[in-house]
Amino acid sequence: MKADKPAPIRRDWLSKSLAGAVLGFALALGASALLAALIEGMPLATRSQLVMWLVPPVWLGVLGTVYFFGSGLRAWGWLGGACLALYGGLFLAGAL
Amino acid sequence: MRADYIRIYKSVHTWTGILAGMALFIAFYAGALTVFKEPLARWASPQSSVPHVPLEAAPDLIAKVIAAKPDVAKGFNIYLQDTEDVPARLGWEVRDPQADDHDESSVRHHIAYLDADGGVRMEPSTPSGLTSFIDVLHRVVGLPVDSDPNRWIMGVIAGLYAVALVSGVIVLLPSLVKDFFALRTGKNLKRMWLDAHNVVGIVSLPFHIVMALSSVVFAYHDGIYDLQDKLMYGGKLASVFQRPGGAAANAETRDPAAMLTPIELVARTRELAPGFEPIGLQYQQATGPRAVVRVWGKDASAVSPRARGGFVAMDPYSGNVLNSDYLPGKQDTPNLWISSFFALHMASFGGVAVQWLYFLLGLAGAWLFYSGNLLWIETRRKRADRQTGKIPAQRLDTRLMASATVGVCLGCVCGISLMMIASKWLNGQVENLNAWLQGLYYLAFFACLGWAFLRGGGRAGVHLLWLAAALTLAIPVTSLVGALFPGTGVWAHTSAAALAVDATALAGAAGFAWMARVAARRIGQGALDTVWRLDTKAHSGLREAAE
Repeated sequence: MKADKPAPIRRDWLSKSLAGAVLGFALALGASALLAALIEGMPLATRSQLVMWLVPPVWLGVLGTVYFFGSGLRAWGWLGGACLALYGGLFLAGAL
Repeated sequence: MRADYIRIYKSVHTWTGILAGMALFIAFYAGALTVFKEPLARWASPQSSVPHVPLEAAPDLIAKVIAAKPDVAKGFNIYLQDTEDVPARLGWEVRDPQADDHDESSVRHHIAYLDADGGVRMEPSTPSGLTSFIDVLHRVVGLPVDSDPNRWIMGVIAGLYAVALVSGVIVLLPSLVKDFFALRTGKNLKRMWLDAHNVVGIVSLPFHIVMALSSVVFAYHDGIYDLQDKLMYGGKLASVFQRPGGAAANAETRDPAAMLTPIELVARTRELAPGFEPIGLQYQQATGPRAVVRVWGKDASAVSPRARGGFVAMDPYSGNVLNSDYLPGKQDTPNLWISSFFALHMASFGGVAVQWLYFLLGLAGAWLFYSGNLLWIETRRKRADRQTGKIPAQRLDTRLMASATVGVCLGCVCGISLMMIASKWLNGQVENLNAWLQGLYYLAFFACLGWAFLRGGGRAGVHLLWLAAALTLAIPVTSLVGALFPGTGVWAHTSAAALAVDATALAGAAGFAWMARVAARRIGQGALDTVWRLDTKAHSGLREAAE
């Protein structure tokens, strides 16, 4: 990559915020499914609570950092791709 | 970091902050008080008029109550303590099946005791709703009922708050080393407020992250559980959290006299967990085949899973431990993690020292949101013309924001203090005290808000701060009147917990009075080109004439 002057970052408030809120939540649910699969030995009453607590940090972590994306389109692309990869992996591993 | 990012995140911080700030002020001010829910409840409870049955006689009381009213066996409490807020040895609650799980205002309370002849007496009781309403204000950011939709609104606020925290840190990061601990007090007042806002925000950042994330959990856990159940547990989750005992209702009824006595249950619990101080026994399905007693209590040296402490569940007939997942100090690692999330929100660890720390952090948080709004206004301030000294009119949005900030924040403060006084003065004087308290809160809140819009943020701020000081001072004065003139119907408890409430209110009143004086001075002597000076026109005229 050439060290050109970086392109200005598009604000894209609506599309970025939506990407962060919607895909961030999807990613958070996927991450919680991954954690649930990793600690499967734990009794469900405990595991389910622990796993539920993972959702808000991941969700809001994504929502909080989504404005770093260069544009709304990129945010949807990257986060959507991450969702596909995560859910695809979970599905293939039989965790869903 | 690229300047672009900083600019974008500055906007994110500004708008999430301004949307959530005033709701968060209410949540944090009421939440700081909720840390001391128990002392407040003791302060607000009149002396119980019914005889307190000794603990040795509790088995007799239980047997007689269940014989007279078999339904009570489904769920009742034996209170082990004799604090002011405990009306009797035995009590039970009847919940309205239509009402929300979290809605405590619909709960009907009953107590039972033995009269001089050993006969059982049962009557409804009306515990003071003061502390539960302050708690509700804190849970649902000032809305009147802790219901699903109100919690969802709170969840949105908490989400905005989380994004405001992330964006605030991103904005501050590049200059953190330079700005941290720098409090530039000088001519540039905005700089000073910004420095103070930054230092309070960064120092209490871990506390705020905990609050934001756990509040989102409290708002949306039901929905998240449902989705997760469908996504990854195949519908098995619903059965895990079902309350036990419902299924076998038609089985044979057991004799409650065969249960271990409360004294024996407490002794067994102490053996199990030496540092654990039991405060109450919660019986469920006491005469059914799956009878459970939860021995609730506290352990200052351990993490408690709930604000009121933790519990061990036992079979009241055999004394066998059924569940120690919620017993402070005896939890396995995964359960300790889960309990820590609750404890970190509710200050239910580390005893009184941590509670005071949370109280101060809560008040500091309330100040953080207030100062954030001030900075929003200050950033949009129209300054006087350098050449002519002409004072421009301030923007309408900043004038409205100044009024709203002052009105909402001080309205909440005044409303809560007014409720506290009324909880003593109106006790026994009105039919439905708790409805009165809520009505008075909103009356004070909206009156303050209206006054702030009528007189402008600056003037009204001074008036409302004096009002807050007066109403808060009336809290210890009310207790003093109760101590000196018991005939007034007002009471004064002399326990350390109740006296600490009066002392804290006295300190709070002094604090509000100081703020009122400082605010009045700024209006009298400060700059003219600001929203805090309502009558800008008159003054600019004077100044022009003088020059």
